[in-house]
Formats: sequence, structure tokens, C-alpha cells
Amino acid sequence: MSEKGNGKLPRIGVYICHCGLNIANVVDVEAVAEFAGKLPGVVVAKAYKYMCSDPGLEMIKADIKEQNLERVVVASCSPLLHEQTFRRAIQEGGILNPYLYTHVNIREHVSWVHASEPAKATEKAKALVAAAVRRVSAHKPLERKRVDVNPDVLVLGGGIAGIQASLVLADSGKKVYLVEREPSIGGHMAKFDKTFPTLDCAACILTPKMAQVGNHPNIELLTYSELKEIEGYVGNFKAKVLKKSRHLYLEKCTACGECAKVCPVEIPSAFDENLAKRKATYRPFPQAVPNKFVIERLGYPPCQAACPIHQNAYGYMMMVKEGKFAEALEVVLRDNPLPSLCGWVCTHPCTDTCTRGKVDAPLNMPGIKRFIADHAGDFALPMPKDFKENGKKVAVIGGGPAGLTAAYELRKRGYQVTIYEAAGTLGGMPAITIPDYRLPKDVLKKDTDRIAATGIEVRLNTALGKDVSLSEITKQYSAVFIAVGASKNRRLGVPGEDNSWVLPGLEFLGRVNSGERPNLGRRVVVIGGGLVAVDAARTAVRLGANVTLVCIESWEEMFARRTSEGQKEVEQMKAEGVEVLTRWGPKEFKSGGIELKSVIRVFDESGRFSPQYDETKTRFLECDTAIVAIGQAPDSDLFKSQGLSVTSWGGLDVDPVTLQTNIENVFAGGDVLGPDVVVTAMMAGKKAAESIDRFLNGRDLYEGRELEGPFEGVARPMDLERVERKPAIRMPEREPSVRIKDFADVHSTYSPEDAQKEASRCLMCSICCDCQLCKPACPVEGCIDYSIPDEEIELNVGAVVVATGFKIFDPKRIPSYGYGKYPEVYTSLEIERLVNSSGPTEGKLVMKNGQPPKSVAIVHCVGSRDKNYNEYCSRVCCMYSLKLAHLVHERTGAEVYNFYIDMRTPGKGYEEFYHKLLDEGIHFIRGRVAEITDWAIEPSEKGKLVVRVEDTMAGMVRRIPVDMVILSVGLEPQPDAQDIRRLLKLSCSSEGFFLERHPKLAPVSTVTAGIYIAGACQGPKDIPDTVAQAGAAAGEVLAMVDRGYIELEPIKAHIDAEDCSGCKMCNGLCPYDAITYDKERKVSEINEVLCEGCGTCVAACPSGAIDQDLFENQELLYEIEGVLKYV
Amino acid sequence: MPDKLRYAYYPGCSLKGSGRHYESSLLSVFRSLGIELEEIPDWNCCGATAYMSIDETAAFGMVARNLALARKMGYKEIVAPCAACYLGLKKAQSYISEYPHIAEKVCSALAKTGLECGCYDAPFIIKHPIEVLVYDYGLDNLRDKVKKPLTGHRIVPYYGCQLTRPFADMDDAFYPTIMDRLLEAIGAEVISDYPLKTRCCGGSLTGTIPEVGSRLSWLLINEAKNHGANYMVTACPLCQFNLECFQGRMKLWEGKTPKFPILYFTQAIGIALGIERASLGFGQLVYKPTMI
Repeated sequence: MSEKGNGKLPRIGVYICHCGLNIANVVDVEAVAEFAGKLPGVVVAKAYKYMCSDPGLEMIKADIKEQNLERVVVASCSPLLHEQTFRRAIQEGGILNPYLYTHVNIREHVSWVHASEPAKATEKAKALVAAAVRRVSAHKPLERKRVDVNPDVLVLGGGIAGIQASLVLADSGKKVYLVEREPSIGGHMAKFDKTFPTLDCAACILTPKMAQVGNHPNIELLTYSELKEIEGYVGNFKAKVLKKSRHLYLEKCTACGECAKVCPVEIPSAFDENLAKRKATYRPFPQAVPNKFVIERLGYPPCQAACPIHQNAYGYMMMVKEGKFAEALEVVLRDNPLPSLCGWVCTHPCTDTCTRGKVDAPLNMPGIKRFIADHAGDFALPMPKDFKENGKKVAVIGGGPAGLTAAYELRKRGYQVTIYEAAGTLGGMPAITIPDYRLPKDVLKKDTDRIAATGIEVRLNTALGKDVSLSEITKQYSAVFIAVGASKNRRLGVPGEDNSWVLPGLEFLGRVNSGERPNLGRRVVVIGGGLVAVDAARTAVRLGANVTLVCIESWEEMFARRTSEGQKEVEQMKAEGVEVLTRWGPKEFKSGGIELKSVIRVFDESGRFSPQYDETKTRFLECDTAIVAIGQAPDSDLFKSQGLSVTSWGGLDVDPVTLQTNIENVFAGGDVLGPDVVVTAMMAGKKAAESIDRFLNGRDLYEGRELEGPFEGVARPMDLERVERKPAIRMPEREPSVRIKDFADVHSTYSPEDAQKEASRCLMCSICCDCQLCKPACPVEGCIDYSIPDEEIELNVGAVVVATGFKIFDPKRIPSYGYGKYPEVYTSLEIERLVNSSGPTEGKLVMKNGQPPKSVAIVHCVGSRDKNYNEYCSRVCCMYSLKLAHLVHERTGAEVYNFYIDMRTPGKGYEEFYHKLLDEGIHFIRGRVAEITDWAIEPSEKGKLVVRVEDTMAGMVRRIPVDMVILSVGLEPQPDAQDIRRLLKLSCSSEGFFLERHPKLAPVSTVTAGIYIAGACQGPKDIPDTVAQAGAAAGEVLAMVDRGYIELEPIKAHIDAEDCSGCKMCNGLCPYDAITYDKERKVSEINEVLCEGCGTCVAACPSGAIDQDLFENQELLYEIEGVLKYV
Repeated sequence: MPDKLRYAYYPGCSLKGSGRHYESSLLSVFRSLGIELEEIPDWNCCGATAYMSIDETAAFGMVARNLALARKMGYKEIVAPCAACYLGLKKAQSYISEYPHIAEKVCSALAKTGLECGCYDAPFIIKHPIEVLVYDYGLDNLRDKVKKPLTGHRIVPYYGCQLTRPFADMDDAFYPTIMDRLLEAIGAEVISDYPLKTRCCGGSLTGTIPEVGSRLSWLLINEAKNHGANYMVTACPLCQFNLECFQGRMKLWEGKTPKFPILYFTQAIGIALGIERASLGFGQLVYKPTMI
């Protein structure tokens, strides 16, 4: 063997381990040693029974001294097990650098896998040893670096594992940050009644520990908080923790519970396994630590988020549900100054997103709002308590929904507002065109009067461009909002349209609305498919005509049917006898009627409105009057004459965010941009008021306006299939044959009882409904504050203990066990709550009908030891099933049947407990349960749940009827365990539990130095094991922290700056964020402290500029040469 | 409306024999919905009989021949209404694509008959008519076509075993609801919580050990009656036959013949679509629901 560049080989010692018989039984170790002894550079080669034992290590040390060894190779087990042992040994000799060493695995890689082929195994062992000997000659000495350790510790998870670890660490004087995402610590153990096998009460042993955590000077408890980010390395981590807002000040809360008393929200309590309800403001259980409340708000619910003005529909629903009608009005008026108008005619996008709509039918939110306004009768709009005139004047041109809303919003902010309105009354389009049966005039007038009454000057009969010009107005006012709407009728442009019997829709509706009752003749045709056309048709019906509505759209495309409100209008119209003729358009108005032409399409491929007709296919429709209602348009000529710029299709040209026009202090919105509905006009009013206020105070017009306008809301997770069906309560509706005789309202308002019933259908999506009742109820001044934001805090720690726990298996995944289908099938955790004295039944184990069960089945291994779900044994189920069997039997005297595969009761006192249960007369049937069914064959099975099982002891299939079934569900990783894994760079076993660094020798360490695991997040385990493991994790942390420094493995990657091309490819690849780019030198650099030596960058570097200690090119090439030379 | 739906049609022996009314009702319903079925010419046994247990490879070969014929027709999807055929086709195709040694044997056998097996091509999508109606045609579309909704008909949807497991993937193996939804779409009052949805109908035991086989059938009927059902619908010719034709034997356990109507689901749909009874093979039913 020749040596490149270096003539002299180092002196090498090779040691082959028998590992008892583990290796020696297969590999001829003596032959390997003999072979190694002849390899170039090897001065000594020996085999020994246990190389890792003291005599073995002493032998190596002695050889180093006596033979002046410069390199050592040991062929034994996996380096994971003993590489460090041998490195330490050669270092202890004080002679050799520990990295002048190579470890060969001839156990896992050779003897164990080639047990049947000893001869070949021996050859393989020789080849590997040859490779190692060649490799080790190229090794260079490496130095370990020392880094100081931050003694503070982060503990994730406040279950019994986190509690125990925190207490051990804190008692030894370390500062501990305990992060728990629930509002209280305690974890699963807090839910249990008793603990096995001693049957001592879980609360009695847990709550003192919880209290200790709460009071410990060294523990900073961060509940209702979650880890968001963590960076750094062992000894020096930087963690970002999100402290979710409780919407109250923790230090002020006295846990008196007054807030919860007034809270109208009731949702299933997760702590009680959804068997009881809790409020939106709550604490999970009375012994909670910290013993404080939390107001849980998820954000805007779907209804409120979908509403263009973000009307808090959820809030007023809750108030109506509670019968608090005055408070309901208060909630409505917070967002909406036109409650009646919206209650009567809003297109309510809120109902289209209502979660209840996915279950049966959405809530009638406009109907309830109308009820609230109707019920309140006379009231005034609220003005801010600290209202102050600011002396600035703003003009609003147009008194429709947009103008009125803007005027009120500006008035609230202290402006002197003047509304210019062209018509003789306020209200805009709704006042002029919406027929009385849909919106009575006096109802609208109340709304508009209330706005005027807030101190707004109103100038009626003053039209822009006619009575007053924009330039005159801008001279007198600091800012102007234009909301004159879209009042021009669109024309068809077909022959005969100017006949006197052809009426424009808006004009017709306006005439009727002002009290005229024109004679239309017997037959009326309405042309158009929008809501104005529907209004015109229904008005014509009320004038005594036979009406046909003709539209070019198909039934599905019909414009009016695009909103649910419109669909209701169309249905009512049809019920009133209007015939609908779709896919026909007018060709010519001739004497006696209209010639129609057939429609080929309305929209082109890209969905744009672009009707095409078949001029040859026509039909003639006789009529006395035709009403054309094909849409309205803004008056673009008017805008141009006032110096405003206009878009290509005639609307005012404004900034979509700020509604600013080309004139700096003039803003515009509503139908002037193009026809839309009432509530979007109101949104424009709100936006304009905000813009004007910002403009006049010199503030940025754009910042922070993302949440204006509709977006997607949030709903708490719900199993919609299991939500109880509650049919919608309809508003009383007059019969079509009756209502077409007059212009009176089609509906009458809800009775208070019906309104409450309808409101109670609400599913309470976003938990807190923002009714704001709890704030005045709280006896502590300044405790509740809805504006407290979430807070992100940064923690510097030296180590992390992960104790995030488990979740239970969802038995709905096994449909044959009937969970969720049969009410008397429970999970074991549900039973824990039912037998718990502080649980929903105060410890009484009763069925849904209130009676105690006479017979109970406990089904073991649900979701465990089953290849379809989880192959592993969940370890705790046998024992907790025994405990539950005992409790059920003791509390109810019921016959209890345990169905098991194997009873697994290893543990102190566990087997004895099993025998105690056998003596108590609990039945044990060996066999996996096939099915739980309510299918009764025998009369004795009627009304019971039948457990079908193969009794493998008796060798027969049995049917056992019981009253109640308990499913002993297995333990699974937390649903977000993978997020934690990524965050902390851990590994997981195949089932998703966090992986320890070594199953036997490093059970609480992980592959990431400085991060330790404890409890069920590592795998299913019971309380004693969890506590022991938590103690172990704390011990490991202390061992590291108390030393004060850590030694870093010196195996690092290095970048040769000469060769680095600065391509930055390695920067993004590094999983430890250890590589940064030096802009000045234009090269990448590796932070040696962060580098974990994974080698990813080495392989990726296109210019080969990165090398890694112990894996340098020469070392690897020598290793390959070694193998190949032997072969 | 979906695009034109077209499938190769593999009827199998039952639909030409004891289950003729399944075929006539299926074809009538599909015709009225505009779904096209083209029968595979010269098809042979699906292998579901004793073949599968005696010589699996031969059974797979027979299935492969049917698939090869369908491939020649240019289809990618095959409709197999008989539950046994549906399962047999799916099973054979799965084995052929999973085990090369089976594919090899099957290919060489087919080559001798001058057919290209196409074993290595993309597998066929084998569909049951229920899947065609629910997933391809769509329940909303079906709902629009209903002329006489089955209001007030309390129906037990009975799936049996082969339609749900182990090779079928249309729904849950033990608690399927796909036929429930189909029947709800035509206005029926479906007894969804019928606990024996997928339990054994007796299978071939009705022929070999009648007192065991027919008792299993009777349990199904008895439970359906306990749930207040007017009739039961099935999607399998063997189930329909076992449940309907051996009711005479059920005197043994019930004391009298139950005379409980067992329909094919296609017959119920046909009624809802307004198709006349004669075209739905009602003449072949032993017991007819009084309400139809």
C-alpha cells in the first residue's frame, strides 16, 4: 500500500470485540484480528470478549502507551452505543486525541443480519475493518469547543409531566417558564376521578402540585400561550411565545365568576368532554391554576365577517335568545344606524355564510333585526359619551343609505354635517322605489329621522348640478361625500320603446310609491331579471294586472336570484301569480304587445355579460302595459359637468380603498360607482367617513384598512353531523291571494317568543359574541378590556423540556362500535368525567335518561393493537379499564363486562388490583369485540346495546346485551405534534410520538441537544411512569445546566472562502440556519456553534468549497479504497 | 348537467337469469337519465362462482378476458351491476396489477386467444351503478328528474357484503351511506340506522345448509320489519334472491311467510322517475310493496 504525499503510516491499533456471543457466534473474530494485524500501519490487533468493559478499555489504554499507538480502530457494536465510550477511553489515557479513532459496526451491520452465513459475515467484517484502518490514517485531531449555558429552562405543556419537571427544576433554583396552551395547567390528569391501582383521588394528588406551580417564585406560568418559534442551540435558545389575550387583566381577576353569569354563550365544555356546557367567559374547572377567567374570542364569526358593514349579528342573536331586547338594539346600533331599513330589505350576505345553513337552514338575521327595531319602537341613535364638536364642516350629497351612514359616522366624530338631497324626502332609492309591501314608508322615515336628529342639517329638494354646484359646496365645506346614487333608467334600445304604454321601471315604482295608482290595463309585461323588475311585477299585480316577467337570463342565471333574499322575493312573486318567461328578450314593442326573440346565451365564455339572440326565433306576447326594468346607471354627464372623472362605463372614478375622487377633498361611494345593494352602499358610507376623518386630520388614508368589507370569518370546530336539527322559525307571511289586494307588508314581525326561539338556533361560531355584557357585570374596575391584544414574548433559555402529552383515539373511526350513533356508547374519558364528583353529573354515573345503568360493557383496545388503526399497545387502557370497572360497579352495582384481548397489568400493585377486581365479581371475556349494535334478536335484548364478541375462552360467539358501553380508547400523539416536531427539530417514531435519542440509554434526550422529552408525548404511559420520566428529564437538564458549559461536537462543516463562489445555495438548505452570506466578502459563512455537522451543505456546494471534519474527501476516499482493496 | 356519460356494461350471468328485473330496471333508469351503457360483446363468467376458490389464476384469466374485450371497445370505465361481478372484477384487476407472476400467466393465456390483455395499461375504473348515479350523474341532477318522489316510503337500504368490502372503495366498509343518500334524493324515508346494512344475507348457505342460510336472511327481514320498513332495496342479485325467494322457509322462525317485498334499488328509482312498472320488471317480484 503506497501513501500519497506522506511516506510514513501512523501506528494503528485494531480491537475486535466478541460482544459475548453476539458477534463471536457468527464472525470469526480471531481471524478478523489476525487479518487486521497484517494490514499496513497496524502494529497491534487483538480480539477480546467485552471490549467496552473495564479490562477491555484498560487493554487499549495500555497498548497506546506501550506501543506508542497513534490511531485506534474498534470493531464492535453500533457507534450509537459505544463510539463515545472508546473515544473517552483513548482520551483518558491522556495520549490520544479522541478523533484519531474509527468505530466499525460488526454487530448490527454484520453478525445480527448475516447470522446464517458466518463465513461471508467474517469476510464482510474484514472488509469493514480494512476500510476503517485505511480511513483512520487520514484522521486529524479535533478540538471540542465550550459554550456557556443559560440556566433558565422552558417547559412545554402543563400536564402532570410538565408540572413535575417544572417543580424539580424550580426547587433546585432554576428559573422555569411553563407554557400551557389551555387556560389552566393540569392536563388530562385533572379530568380523572381516581388513579389506579391505589384508587387515590386524582385531584387530591394533583391540585396541591398545581398550586405549588402557581405559587413558586421560580416558575413563570404562561397559560393560554403557545410556542411559536425557537432558534439557537443547546444552552442558548431563544423562544417566541404567543400569549393569547384573555381579554382581561390576569392580576385583577378575582375569579368571582360574575362575568360568566351574564354571558349568553353556551358551548360544549372540552374539559368535560363535551358532556356539559360552558360560557364564552370561563375557567375550565374550579381548581384551575391560575384560578382566573378567560374570555374566549376567535374573531369575527362568518355572519359578521360576510357583512359589508360587519354588523354583529351573532351578538344581537345572543341578546334576543336571552330575551334582552334593549341590549340587542344596543348591539345592532353599534354597527348600523339604519336597523329598520336593513331589517326589512337587506340582501343579508350574513345568512349565506351562516354555519347553521350547513345543518338545516340559516338563521333569519334580518328578520330578527327587524324584530329588534320593531320591538323597540321609538329610540334615538347613540352618540359617543365624550362627544365634542370639532368645528369642521362636511357636506354629504345624497340622502340614501350611503349618504345617511356617512353623515351619522361623521357626526359621531364631531363634524358639522349637511345632507343635500334632490328629492323631497330622505332615504334615497329605497324611499323612492321600494314598494310599501316590502318597506313601509313610515318605517324608513323613522330610520332617517333618527339620523337627522343627531344634529345633522338636511337640505331637501336640492339637486347637485341643478340647484347647487359642487364648486359652490367645496367652497363652504372642508370635505364632501357624493352619494347621489344611480337614478338613470337603462334603455333597451329596441323599436317602440318610446310608446306611452312602455314605462321605465324606476319611474313606474316612483309614481306608485308617491301614492299614484296608474291604470295598467289587464295584461302587463315586465322586462328584466333583477330585483327592480321583481318589485315592478309585484307592484303591477297589486294594481290588479295579470303579469308576465320576461328576462333574457335562464332561471339559474336570473340576477334577482343571486342572493337568498332575492330568491325569496322571486318565490313570493311566483306565488302571487306572476309568470316568469326566461331566455327571451324584447325585439320590438308593437301595437298590442311585444315581439320577443330567443336568447342563445347571456354570458360569454369568460362570464362577461354579452347577450346573443336568435333573431329568427320569435314569439309575440300581448299586453296593455310594458314596464322596462333592466337596470339603472349613474348619471355620468352630471359628474363630468361637476369636474369629476368618470370610468369608461359611466361610474365615478374613485380609489377603491379610500373612495377619494380626482378632487382631493371629495369622496364618493354607493351606487355612483355602479348599482349595488343597500348594505354595500352603507359600507361605502362608513369607508368614506373614515377616509374624510383621516384626510381632515392629516392621517394616512390607506394604513390598516384590510378588514373593511367582507372576508371569511371563523367558526369553532364543530361536528355538524351531530348538531341537533332545529327547523327555522319563519316570520308569519300573509297568504298570496290576500296580500296582493293591498300594499301592506307581506310579513308580520316575529313574536318575542318566536324571535327567541329563532335566535336560539345560533351555533355560536366564534364563542365570545361581543355583546359586552360582562364588562359592566365585573365588580373589579378595569379588569375586563376587550381591546387587550395577543402578545408575543421572547424567552432566553438553555434547555427545553417537551411534555405536550397525548390525545385519545377518536372511536368514530371504528363505525361498528357505534360511537356517535348510539347515545349510550361513551369514551373512557367521558366516563372519567361522569364519575368525577366535580363533573357534569357530580359523580353520579347515569345514562342519558337519568337512570343508572344495570349492565355496562368495557371494550378494551379500541384503536390500539389493531393494524387498521394503531398497531401499538396504549399501555394504560387495561389498568384504567379496571379502575373504571371498579368505580362503575361500586357506584351503580351494575354488572360490568370487560372485553379484552390480553390483560396487561405489569407494574407495582397492578396485578394485585386485577385480582381484586376478579374477586369483586367483574366479568372478564377474552375476545375482541366485533360490533356494538342495537339490533335485538331475543326479547331480552330489546332496548339494549348488544355487544357481539367471539369469546375465545369458551370458543363461541356471544351476544351480550348491556345498557351502557365504555370504549377504552387508546392514546395517540397530539394532533399538532408534527408542528412541535418541526419547530424543535425533533424526530418522531412512525406512529408520531417524539423519538428519544436512545430507547434504553437516553430515553428522555432527543436528537437535538438541549431538548428533552417527558410523558406521553414520547409514547403512551401511565402517571407513575410519566412522573418518573419528568423527573429524569429535569435531572438531565440540571446535569447540563449546572456544569455551566457544554462541549460541542467538533464535527463541523467549513467553507473555504477561496473556492466559495457566493452562490448562496447552501444558505437555504441548512436545517440549523447556521449559514449566512457575507455581503462584503461575497462568500457564505458557517456559524460553528450552530452547525450540527449534518453535511447537507457539503453535498450541495457546486464548487466543492465546503468540507466537513471527519468526512473530508481524503478520509472518505481512503475508506472506499480500504474496502475496494480488500475485495 | 354532466357531460354525456358512457360506460362499457358487464351484466354478468345473474342479470340475464334470476336477476332479469335488475337488468330491465337498470337499463330503463339509465336510459331515462341519458346514461349510455354498451354491453361488452361475447362476455363470459366473472369467475365469482367456485372458480375463485378452486383455481384463482383461471378465475383471474376469465376476468381478464372480459377486461380485454372492453378495452377493445375503447372504454376506460366498466359498469358491473352485480355485486359479485363488481367484486370479482375489482379483485382480479387488483391482483393482476399487484403480482407480476399472475399478470404474466394471464397475459400469455389471453395471447393464445388473440387478445391483448392490457395488464400493464392503466387499470379500468370498475363502477357499480350506485357510484355512477351518486358520483358521476350527481344527486342534485337526479333530484331534478324525480317525478313521483317516494314520499312516505320507509325503505331499508341493504348493502350486503360484496359491495362494501374488501376490494370495494365506494364507501365505508361497515357503515356505508351512499345508497341511503341515493334513496333520500328520490324522496324516500330511508331507515339509515338499520344495523344490519352490511350483514350476511346467507350467501350460498341458503343452498347448502338451508336452515343456517335462510335464518340469516330472515334475521335481516325481521329487523327491517322491526324498524317499520315498507320494503327493502338491495343492489345484489344474490341478496335479492335469497331474501325474496326463500321466505317460505321463514315460517320456521316467524310462524308464517313474512311476504316482505325486496326490490332492486333501480326499481325504486324507476318508480320515482315515473317509469312504468312493466319496464322495471315488477312482474318478476314475488312480493310487491302495496304502496307502489
